[in-house]
Amino acid sequence: MNRKLLFTLVLITSLAGTLRAQRISFEEYNMPNGMHVILHQDNTTPIVAVTITYHVGSKNENPNRTGFAHFMEHLMFEGSENIGRGEFFKIAQNAGGQINAYTSHDKTFYYELLPSNQLELGLWMESERLLHLVIDSIGVETQRSVVKEERSARYDNQPYGSVIEEIFVRAYTNHPYKWLPIGSAQYIDQATLQEFQEFHSTYYVPQNATLCIAGDIDVAKTKELINKYFADIPRGRNTIERPNIVEPPLGREIRDTIFDNIQLPAVIQAYRIPANGTDDAYALSMLTNIMSQGESSRMYKSIVDQQQKAVAVFSFPFPLEDPGLFLVFGIANMGVSAVELEQAINVEIEKVLTEGLTDREFQKAQNMVEADFINGLSSVATIADKLADYHTFFNDANLINTEIEKYRRVTPQDIQRVARTYLVENNRVVLHYLPKQQ
Amino acid sequence: MKNIIISILLLIPFFTFSQIDRSIRPEPGPAPQINIADAQSFTLNNGLQVFVVENSKLPTVSFSFIFDYDPLLENELCGLSDITGQMLKTGTKNRTKEQIDDAIDFIGASISTSSGSLYASALSKHTDILVEIIADILINAKFTQEELDKIKTQTISGLASSKNSPEEILERLRKKLVYGNNHPYGQSPTEETINNIELDDCINFYTTYFRPNISYLAVVGDVRIDVIKPILERYLGLWEKKEVPTHTYETPQAPTQTRVAIVDRPASVQSSIAVAFPVTLKPGTPEAIRARVMNGILGGGSARLFYNLRETHGFTYGAYSSLSTDKLIGNFNASTDVRNSATDSAVREILYEINRISNEPVGLEELNLHKNELAGGFALSLESPSTIARFALSIAQYNLPADYYKNYLRNLDAINATDVLTSATNLLSPDNAYIIVVGKADEIADKLKNFSSDGQINYYDEEGNWYDPALKITPAPAGMTAEIVIENYINAIGGRSRLSKMKDISLKYTALIQGMSVNFDIYQKSPNKMRIEIAASGMIFSKQVFDGEKGISEVPMTGQKEELEDDQLESMRYQATMNMELNYAQYGVNLVLLGIENINEKPAYKIQLTYPNGDETFDYYDVQSGLKIRSISESGQTEYAEYKAFKKILFPTIMTQELQGQNLQLELQTVGINKKLKDDFFKTN
Repeated sequence: MNRKLLFTLVLITSLAGTLRAQRISFEEYNMPNGMHVILHQDNTTPIVAVTITYHVGSKNENPNRTGFAHFMEHLMFEGSENIGRGEFFKIAQNAGGQINAYTSHDKTFYYELLPSNQLELGLWMESERLLHLVIDSIGVETQRSVVKEERSARYDNQPYGSVIEEIFVRAYTNHPYKWLPIGSAQYIDQATLQEFQEFHSTYYVPQNATLCIAGDIDVAKTKELINKYFADIPRGRNTIERPNIVEPPLGREIRDTIFDNIQLPAVIQAYRIPANGTDDAYALSMLTNIMSQGESSRMYKSIVDQQQKAVAVFSFPFPLEDPGLFLVFGIANMGVSAVELEQAINVEIEKVLTEGLTDREFQKAQNMVEADFINGLSSVATIADKLADYHTFFNDANLINTEIEKYRRVTPQDIQRVARTYLVENNRVVLHYLPKQQ
Repeated sequence: MKNIIISILLLIPFFTFSQIDRSIRPEPGPAPQINIADAQSFTLNNGLQVFVVENSKLPTVSFSFIFDYDPLLENELCGLSDITGQMLKTGTKNRTKEQIDDAIDFIGASISTSSGSLYASALSKHTDILVEIIADILINAKFTQEELDKIKTQTISGLASSKNSPEEILERLRKKLVYGNNHPYGQSPTEETINNIELDDCINFYTTYFRPNISYLAVVGDVRIDVIKPILERYLGLWEKKEVPTHTYETPQAPTQTRVAIVDRPASVQSSIAVAFPVTLKPGTPEAIRARVMNGILGGGSARLFYNLRETHGFTYGAYSSLSTDKLIGNFNASTDVRNSATDSAVREILYEINRISNEPVGLEELNLHKNELAGGFALSLESPSTIARFALSIAQYNLPADYYKNYLRNLDAINATDVLTSATNLLSPDNAYIIVVGKADEIADKLKNFSSDGQINYYDEEGNWYDPALKITPAPAGMTAEIVIENYINAIGGRSRLSKMKDISLKYTALIQGMSVNFDIYQKSPNKMRIEIAASGMIFSKQVFDGEKGISEVPMTGQKEELEDDQLESMRYQATMNMELNYAQYGVNLVLLGIENINEKPAYKIQLTYPNGDETFDYYDVQSGLKIRSISESGQTEYAEYKAFKKILFPTIMTQELQGQNLQLELQTVGINKKLKDDFFKTN
């Protein structure tokens, strides 16, 4: 009886209809404590991906506590009530598996990739750090140093390493996207132990988590194991802060010059665009295919190959839950100025605004979308990540099978329209990166 | 009300599970069966070996070629193979670059080419057209000047850009030090070597080395062997085979003592550190598996280096080591990025860990941890069908036993603590290592001196060229060239015509060594004969002779005599050449005027000479007098002073030679010019 009731909450995706080889089948359900579970069975290789996505990223942070979400990701490896300091890595290794995590503006993702006979171990580890993570001063001190070095290695000591940070801080004035997940070290230094504990008990709760398991599993047995480790984890009591800040339109062009330890000047343009998952975002994604994917793309062919004004130029929409950015990034060839390179970029953008695209280009973009879609399903780890993303941000895990239809609905006119709407001067931030005088 | 009942009911099953003891780590289930599929293979008539892995899970297919020619010493054309690899995709007899790009992108495919490989992938429904494009690229490649110029410009821009990347600076110097200038793995392209490359070089390279009979192809994905075989025969069967030259090299050796090298990057907020040396470790040997476990424990992931430097000390975001296998020569490299103030501590901890694993047997628990990790990694890698193809390729390429990968897990399992200790003792040489740091010298250099066996730090620029930090170099005035500096020198010492009339020369020097007067007699005869005798108290204790072709080194007192070979012989040939400076170009010596440095507080032009064998020398010419005052090569530094005229030709009468930290002062006693020295005098047998 109870079992049957439980199953009323279970959604089994239909295998009927236009079934293709690459269709991803899965089951999903909510547990009473609010945790969402997604299971994808694929027994071809004896491995399993155990993943948890927490719907918390840098955009949930307090402006004077930036870097918190990412710092928490580091603390999640420090130890729990039953797992000693530093043991998370060792347990996974000992099981012949891999363990890691990442933090974005919108989410924090944890995973273990394990031989399939170690499924229970993965569930135990994830339940440990959700239920009773140990946050103490030793762990916090260690990770304070580690994160500072991460910041140095990835951002401060890298040519063009500060580009994304410099763009976002100018593109947003109110929205928390104006800082990056890496945040500022000073805030982490200022924070007390209690603040970290508070952050964990607010965001690391079942109703804010999606447990997604993909690979060589037995679905019924897996459900039992999930119950064993997660069912008695209580629902969180704190209010989960979800910023509903609507950033006003930019309304003007913002321009700046940055001097960096580089040899070749660079040009970065960032146009404000709608959130991921909107119709316009799909059209902008296809615009990118035409503008900069492959050597036949407009910007590569014209600016890199024919005019030789750049060593590299590419564009991409930065995937974000709230309205985001369409980035164009070019690195000048030797002897070419940033101004010259930007003119060449602007010519290409202007061209698509006024002339639209050819039938062949449109067909090419569709073919690329199809290939990218299939190539994105090549491992159980990426499938798990995608399923959890689609659920977390769109409440529709089945987008893994149907999202391609959204691309197919995009017309050539849509692509020209979104270019005209968003890729305009008063909607962008432009940065010129120039070599520091030695 | 009903809702409430449902939610209460829902909670019931969970209560029964809530009694679990969370302190118990779950045991694994029964180990899953690891199945390693076989690749199928066949060989085309032109010798191309093909491996096919059928896997229709996704409707995709990939083609991966390896052009397995011996690595090449490219010297002044360094970068030629990379550029030729890139050129492959820029035109065929049937397609322009634009048409190739369009054909690939239109079907959502990708093709990338490099010096030693070609990789292509697409949805399997496009298999036929993809193979046709690949074959067109491989068989009908057409190289044009326009495309070469583009790639050269791009490459040179990339090189400029890399001068700001600490990793790339570190990598370039690491290769140069670990493998040496005279090994293919040690050379890196420069703006100059890229500029030297001409269209014919690329065409020759392509027709010589891109041949099916030395190549392998792995086809993986949604294909069937009986379908793909005729397609490959139809398109790739036309690729003509041809014998490909082979090359061998002297094996690079670890340094005789630990050396510290710094690339000064004043803007750095972090030091990029490498502790590196060459290791002899061939792929597919039992030693390679032991080494893999040993390195796994030391630094291959979450291991000792990571725990020590990151988790215990918080110096860094990551610290790792790698131990690579290679047909010719592998290498060990422990690397990390740390804040400036932790640089010396980080080096100390890396060396500590290398020493520890070489001296103490690893505990069983730690050993098993890393064996399990490697075994698991092996199993996880099997998810990708390309792994099976990679196995088949490695077996063919390195001549491994056919069951090498099937036995891999069993062989891994058999490794014990003694194996790990032996592997570490055999392969790791912390006392013969290069410690290379890219960072802010001001803040880090002093504390790194302790790690250098001779207490010295060697400085290199971003391109990996050695320099003396005490001497700051400034640009030479516009219009000044290396050739003019040399011409001024020739004029200063007597002029071109007088020098070219000099057919032989006899120079006698004396020096005081430990209170004993030693004679150095140097004879040279045009075009390139030389004899050097070192004698004391009337006894010759060292003699070197070069007869124009062969060279010997002899110690008459012990009867020891050896014939010079390879590098030594080449160096001797250059030294023996009379008046080489009259015509450097003819001897293939490349000259670069680097700028002006102050030597003994007087400005001097610094010229870099690169000999055809890769040897480098830096010569300094006094700006005012035009005379050569210093020469620096790998063997040491020589100062020239007190020039005096002998038959209207100037010779330095004091030569100070720096030898292993000691100064040796040679004083010129007599000069003989055109004494009609006989050829017999330069006999080597």
